[in-house]
Amino acid sequence: MSTNANSYGAGIMAKTGKAFADEYFAEENQVCKETNDVVLVLKKSDEMNTVVQEILLGDHKDDNPTLVVEDRAGYWWLKATGKIEVDCREVSELLGKHFSVYDFLVDVSSTIGRAYTLDETFTITSELMGLDVKLKDLETV
Amino acid sequence: MAISTATKAATDALAVNRAPVSVGAQEVHKWMQSFTWDFDKNRTKYSTKYKMANDTKEQFKLIAKEYARMESVKDERQFGSLQDVLTRVDAANRVHPKWNESMKVISNFLEVGEYNAIAATGMLWDSASAPEQKNGYLGQVMDEIRHTNQCAYINYYFAKQGQDAAGHNDARRTRAIGPLWKGMKRVFADGFISGDAVECSINLQLVGEACFTNPLIVAVTEWASANGDEMTPTVFLSIETDELRHMANGYQTIVSIANDEAASKYLNTDLNNAFWTQQKYFTPVLGMMFEYGSHFKVEPWVKTWNRWVYEDWGGIWIGRLGKYGVESPASLRDAKKDAYWAHHDLFLLAYAMWPTGFFRVSLPTAEEAEWYEANYPGWYEMYGKVYEEWRARGCEDPNSGFLPLQWFAENNHPIYIDRVSQVPFCPSYCKGASTLRVLESNGKKHSFSDPWGERMWLSEPERYECQNIYEQYEGRELSEVVAEGHGVRSDGFTLISQPHTNKDGKLWTLDDIKKIGCVFTDPLKAL
Repeated sequence: MSTNANSYGAGIMAKTGKAFADEYFAEENQVCKETNDVVLVLKKSDEMNTVVQEILLGDHKDDNPTLVVEDRAGYWWLKATGKIEVDCREVSELLGKHFSVYDFLVDVSSTIGRAYTLDETFTITSELMGLDVKLKDLETV
Repeated sequence: MAISTATKAATDALAVNRAPVSVGAQEVHKWMQSFTWDFDKNRTKYSTKYKMANDTKEQFKLIAKEYARMESVKDERQFGSLQDVLTRVDAANRVHPKWNESMKVISNFLEVGEYNAIAATGMLWDSASAPEQKNGYLGQVMDEIRHTNQCAYINYYFAKQGQDAAGHNDARRTRAIGPLWKGMKRVFADGFISGDAVECSINLQLVGEACFTNPLIVAVTEWASANGDEMTPTVFLSIETDELRHMANGYQTIVSIANDEAASKYLNTDLNNAFWTQQKYFTPVLGMMFEYGSHFKVEPWVKTWNRWVYEDWGGIWIGRLGKYGVESPASLRDAKKDAYWAHHDLFLLAYAMWPTGFFRVSLPTAEEAEWYEANYPGWYEMYGKVYEEWRARGCEDPNSGFLPLQWFAENNHPIYIDRVSQVPFCPSYCKGASTLRVLESNGKKHSFSDPWGERMWLSEPERYECQNIYEQYEGRELSEVVAEGHGVRSDGFTLISQPHTNKDGKLWTLDDIKKIGCVFTDPLKAL
């Protein structure tokens, strides 16, 4: 079992019965608490399995040690602190076919955080895009 | 010759941005903000008290060409899977019978939500003035049309390919009698399309979509798979691939009003009202569908809720906006209590009121009772014992002459309908955050189950005039009402709903109900 704090069953989720109820109803847990985490849900498909296994858990595994990927039957559940980024040019190279950021969006099922695209990169971040950070347009020569 | 505003805008845009050598989607998109059509005469069905900024951006930089290509690939994958491999392996008949019943509710109700979201996002298109923001809303209008069709299709698929079609194919005709319908219309219709446009966006996008679609459309697929249903993940995860843009639309609605003075006055109240409105229905109904409508359990509903609603939505969406004055919803404490207990309370009532439904329900087995007690200590004393008594009295057998509704009458536990949410509640026998509150207005009594709804009613009583089942059917006998409300199968006398999912079990008919002599009595009249 993973000990990463971002795991699906981490923290209170590892508890059961009365122990879970005690923490769930504890006074300090009756208000929303700010976190810098992001969650990404990827619908399983030929392309997404490659993104997860070959890129996020492969070549880029060391980029963000907080990243957790869980198999939840029909989808991959990903959680990380800060951000998760996928460069679709890399995916294209691995798949051996053109794969744009819009092809990637075909199987992105949910995002918790601020997700956006810029050129061929998909990013989900905890930053407040449009408030703290400006959303950029594509720069062309 | 005068040129049109749009042509002038295009000409001006070209003057600023020279024509690119190749035209990529995002190169086209960067011009969009220059298309500042004249919106002075914009009219919306409902205006907003907030001023939406005219420079709000759209996060995915989507243009029509890429949108259409993307959505067509989604549909090809989804319909290809359903019509080819899933039909070939007889997937619809591999679904556990209990889960087959849950999908009658989940997909039929979601269809209504998607249908109303078409109008909701159309209204938002009218309200916004930033071209990119309008573009985001416009994409959502088209998404919602797609989703409405998808939800209808999955019921069609289950009805055509699977088991016990009644309820998959004709659920909507029971909308007058089914006690879950009206609450669903409150969250999925009224909350999305009636009132201040930004408040509707908060209901639909910031709470409904960013918060509750994750359990409703994502987590549900895990329960579906665990119970042998591979159609629902195929369709629902495809629906959800559009929801991330809707969540972004909701966030950008907030971005667009963040610097408006009205936000500091009204936003937290609107957010709390929207959160309570949505949670009041989704929390108990989804929990009930997942836990009581499945044979194989994935995890306790309260954990699913804690993850997607409290930790992720509360922390990542709402918590992060704290520095812009967005506060944790004041009703969160009561919502958390509901997430632990309210679905158990609701199932007790749903089982008791089964003849008015359009789906079959079944009592927890001994194995399931153990699971409930392990995960919700105190469950057996409150609920388990009651189910044992009902089972012993033959509640599943049409020859028993026993409807669980009688138990509530015998034990002096009246069932009320909450005026605002339209959700039934039994204040003398519940563990969720429900307490009876009664107000009188123009000689008419109204029952409320919580202070949050009561407060909303006090500020806008005209919004909550929908008649409840007691007001509609006071003094009428149950079988008459079921027949009138189309709660019967194609033979004209067997009820669509049944109190068991046993394929070999006897099915209840109108005659079985009639001989019990159950009459609708409004408990408010006794007060």
